[in-house]
Parts: sequence; C-alpha cells; structure tokens
Amino acid sequence: MSEHVVVAPLVVALVTAILTLGVRRYPRTQRTISLLGIGAYAVAVITLASRVVPLGVLTGGGGTTETLTYQLSNWPAPFGISLVADALSVFMLVLAVLVVVPALVFSVLYIEEFGQRISYHALFHFMLAGVSGSFLTGDIFNLFVWFEVMLMPSYVLVVFYGRAKHTRAALQYTVLNLLGSAVMLVAIGGIYATMGTLNMADLARRLAHAGEYGINPAPVLGLGAILFAVFALKAGIVPFQFWVPAAYRAAPAPIAAVMAGVTKKVGIYAIIRLLFTVFGAATLESELGFGMAGTSFLGLFGPVLFLMAIGSIFLGGLGAVSRNDLDNVLAYSSIGQVGFIVLALALAATGEGTVRTVGLIAALIYSLNHAIAKSLLFLVSGTVYEAVGSIRFDALGGLSTKRPVIAGSFFLGGIALVGIPPLTGFFGKLLVFDTAGKAIVAGEPFAEVALAVALAGAILTIAYFSRAWNRAFWGTPSEPVTRSYQPTTMVVLVGAFALLVVVLGIGFDPVYRAADAAAHAATEWETYVEAVGPEVIE
Amino acid sequence: MSADPRPTDSDTTIIAQTSTRVVVPIILLVAIALLLQGHNLPGGGFIAGVLTVTGFALIYIIYGLRYVEQGLLHRTVVPRSLPAGDDESQAGPPISKEFGEIFTTGLALAAGSGLVAMAFDLPFLSQGVLFVEGLPLYGHVEFASALAFDLGVYLVVVGGLLTILAVVGAE
Repeated sequence: MSEHVVVAPLVVALVTAILTLGVRRYPRTQRTISLLGIGAYAVAVITLASRVVPLGVLTGGGGTTETLTYQLSNWPAPFGISLVADALSVFMLVLAVLVVVPALVFSVLYIEEFGQRISYHALFHFMLAGVSGSFLTGDIFNLFVWFEVMLMPSYVLVVFYGRAKHTRAALQYTVLNLLGSAVMLVAIGGIYATMGTLNMADLARRLAHAGEYGINPAPVLGLGAILFAVFALKAGIVPFQFWVPAAYRAAPAPIAAVMAGVTKKVGIYAIIRLLFTVFGAATLESELGFGMAGTSFLGLFGPVLFLMAIGSIFLGGLGAVSRNDLDNVLAYSSIGQVGFIVLALALAATGEGTVRTVGLIAALIYSLNHAIAKSLLFLVSGTVYEAVGSIRFDALGGLSTKRPVIAGSFFLGGIALVGIPPLTGFFGKLLVFDTAGKAIVAGEPFAEVALAVALAGAILTIAYFSRAWNRAFWGTPSEPVTRSYQPTTMVVLVGAFALLVVVLGIGFDPVYRAADAAAHAATEWETYVEAVGPEVIE
Repeated sequence: MSADPRPTDSDTTIIAQTSTRVVVPIILLVAIALLLQGHNLPGGGFIAGVLTVTGFALIYIIYGLRYVEQGLLHRTVVPRSLPAGDDESQAGPPISKEFGEIFTTGLALAAGSGLVAMAFDLPFLSQGVLFVEGLPLYGHVEFASALAFDLGVYLVVVGGLLTILAVVGAE
C-alpha cells in the first residue's frame, strides 16, 4: 500500500542537504555528495513521473495516468499529511529537474570554493526539498510549510555575496515574503475556521457540495483571494513584482536561474492548484455585484488574473527594453513572461470546456519553456561574467566573434523566449494565441483584448532581446571582451543546456501530451478527491 | 568588585550570579521533562530546546561569553568576525562550529527517525510505541519512537539558537 516512490524526491533532497551539512569540512566529499544527490533526485522524480504518467501516454500509445497518494506517518486523510502525485505535480517536478540539475553543476564550477563549503550545497538542497514538497503536498497548511522551507534557504542565497547592495535586496525580499507568509497563515486559519478542514481534496469536495455540509462558501472566496495574492507575490506578478529585479541581480547566477525557473513556478503551480482543483466546482449562493458576472469562483478570479497579466506583460516588457545589463533585462523579462502564463490562466478561468483545457495547457507549456530558457539565459549571464568580468552592456560588445558558443547559447535562449519554431517557446506562444482565438470564437469577454496584449507582448520580447543581442554580442569586440578568457567547462555545460531547448522543441509531442495530462489532472477535481479519498466527517 | 570602571565580563551583581546558579539547573530539568513528555502531553522538542537555550542565554548574560567558552567548554576564545572561519588556519575554529554540529546531528536524527519507518515498509515518519509492564521501581514505562524525532528537533533548536546567540553575542 505504501508507495514510497511518491515521497522519494523529498526524502532524497532532505537527506542530501543533511549530508552536505555534515561533511562541510571536506569540500571535495561535499561536492561529490551534492552532485550524487542531485542525480538521485532526478532518478527519483523520473521514476515517480513514469509511474504517474506512463510512457504510453507520452508517445500516444495508450495507457492512463494515475494519481498516487501517500499518507505521511500513516494517518488517514484528511487528518494526516497527504502527499499527492498527479500529472500536474509530476509535470512541475520534471520541470524543476530540468532546471536544477544544470544549475547545480554550474554552481560547482561558478561559486568560489569558500562559499560552497560554508553553506551553499546544503541550502540548495533544502530549497529543492521545499520545492518538491510544495509540488507534492495535498494540504494547504503543508503548502505553507513547504513554502517556508523553500524560502528560508533562498533568503540566505540572495544575500550570498554579502555586500551592501545584496543585503539591501535580500532585506526587501525577506521582509516582503515574511509579510506574505504571515498573511497566508491568517488566510489558512480563516479557511480552517469556516471549512473545518485544510486537506485540498476535502476542501474541493466540501466546496462543491456546500449545501450538504452546511457551509457558506462566501468567506472562502475572500480568504482564497488572500491566498491568491500571496501566491502571486511568490510568482512575481504585477502588482507584486517589485522584489524581482533586485533579488535576481543580487543572487548568484545559478540561484537566479533556479529562482526564475523553479521558485516562481511554485507560485504558478499553487495558483493553478487552488483555483482549478480546489475551487474547481465552488460557486457562490448569489451574485457578487460590482459588475462581476456569474457565481463560480473561477469566473470571478478570471478578470483579476486578466488585469494582472496585462500589467505584468507591459511592465516587464517595457522595463526590459530600457535596462543596461544582462541580469536586469532577464529579471524584467521574467515579469513579462510570467504575464503570458497568467494571461493563459485568465482565459482558462473565464472559459469553459476546451478553452479551459487549452488555456491550462498553454500556461503549463509556457511555464516549462520559460523555466528552461530563462535559466539557460541566467547561466549564460553567469558565464559571461566569469569570462569577461562584467555583464554591463557598455563593457560588452562583440562577444559573438570572440566567444561564439556563449553567444550561440544566448541566442537560442533568446529566440526560445521570443518564440521562433522549432523551439518550445514557439509552441508556448502558439498555444496562448490559440487559446485567445478559441475564446473569441466562444464569445468570451476580453478575449480580443487578450489577443492584442499577447501580440504587443510578443513584439516587446523581440525588441528587448534584439537590443540585448545588439549591445552585448554584436559589433566590434570591446576592450574587456578581447581580454576575456574561455571558461571551458562552463561553456560546454551551457552549450549542452542550450541543445536541450532545441531537443524539447523538436520532440514536442510528448511534452504536449504531458501538459495535456497535467491540465486534465488540474481540472478534474473529482478524480483528485477520489484518489486522496478523505474520510467523510460530519 | 574591583574599582576598575571598565565593563568586564563579570560585571554583574552577586545577586544575579547566585540566582543564575540556582535557576539554570531548574530550567534545564524542566526542559528535559518537557522533552520527555512531549509526544502525549504539552511540551515537545521545540519548546524544550528553546527553554534550554534560555538557560544558556542567562549564563551568557550574567557570566559573559568568555566564561561559557573557556570555563564550560574548555576552548580558547578567538576573535570572531563574519563570515566566521575565514582565517581559520591562524585563529583556530570558531565555537559556533560545535553548535553547528549539534544542529546537523539533530537534523540527521529527526530525518533518520522518519526513514526507519520506511525500512519497515510503513510511510515516512510513521511512529510506533512500546509499552513495557512490570519493571521494578518504574512499573509501567512506554518507549515512543516519537521521542527520537523530538530529540532531533530539540538538538536542531538548541544548535541553531546557540549559533545565533554566539555569533550575535560576539559582535
């Protein structure tokens, strides 16, 4: 009965973190354990993924996805701590693996010896444990706990270099997130007080049959909105984006890659899980007023998501066009790109049936593409810093002639975000446009505006990437660039990572099927409830 | 008390020093009691750890950093700076290393106690309890595996808080 494979990623990350902490006097052993640990983590995640989404589903050869559950310490749901691995969780876990493995290998080469020995590896694996826990937990309170497990190492990692500007960024980041966590805890307390449970499956069931359980769902809408705001803070969506640029600039390059690639996606995942699974069937007893149509929770969140998406796309895009160093452009671009994900989610929330599924698929594919491409770009930025000693545009220029592999990797990452076929970014963008098109056909409000915003956002993406490319990589080599050296191992690693972007784009069918399975897992809350099987308490 | 106006480590009154000597053992005893009963009565590893650190904090405040590190732990006190251990080779390891080891041991113990359950093919963190009847003197004793986890938490809290205390206190 006990499916240890579900808890395996978590336990592997936790044990690796403790081991690296224990052997920090022996730097070489520590690095070996850390690398072996990340390898074991990848194996654990892939084993779990192949159990939940069998290979047949990915190749289109038939087979059904499963939802595996695991009751920590053997207490039955909804009393105990449930872990749930469905297609959505597994999709996000694989996304995390694709980013953290290159990021950790890169760190071993990039972070100076002393920094690695002090705490880097332990913190990295603790952060990974937090990420895995957030993706796997089936309980809102434990989601909070895993958020904290993920955030605490990230506070230290942002301040890692410890100079004034890093401390300032980390202080801002820490205070904001602590504030967010406090608010989240209050909202969770409120939900427990009104609903009598925090198990997500139990919540979904109670909200769907509110009358039978004698519950008034109205307070849950407000409390859910608070939770949603906290998740948006973690994902860095407008109006909660202001911590993003400073934190990404302060963090070491591989950590910025993990934060942009994975930690942000935890926020996105939490939004999807909360809105589409837990609130999937929740409706208000009467209309809300304020010009908000309908009574379903999802429909009410739709316009909010929509406004946040528009804000993110424009703020991120316009911000990125005017920045003068690589990391800053990438950080602002992150805000804009998450806007696209949220735009797809907004259409999915207001839509019904196919529009909803396609919207979710678009959001997931876009998340995957952004995770890989953006972490690749942050690693490229780290490599440029290592080679040239600066990432400011006025010091760069002409990198493409001197360091063609670095330049090529940046180019691939850039056009993956812009969305040029055959890279994954193309399919991401295509699906976002497709969703908007389907929504227009279905006669949804704002769908035309969504299409226009997506188009404008795409143009902005092209604008800031071509500007970055022109300033940093084209032209005659500048003085620092001619003096640069070739950090060979890093360049090979970044090059290999760039090839992955191409491979995923060319072999896109399995990726699409995985996202399709994940989108269905997110919306079919009955299956989720049935798999967790919380006991009915009166 | 000497007439030296400079503040020294033993700058506190006799009253404070004496009451510390009386109070600290009581604090530690209560902490241990809370630790042992934590799995089915109010208490537990976290609060026991915090209480233990309160005891140490009292000694730190009343007797000074030097007393704890030289007198209790028999170490030569070295000047510390942040980041700790940068010039380890000349100055000798900083004391917070010991506390760090307590911290690591605690984490390993807590995680390990969860892993043991997996060896019995039970879910991670499953706990068991063993009742022993008819012991001389004690009569009825229960051994709960949760105690191992609590002990782990206790060590994490003690190690973590003492590190903070030692590092911040040294500044």
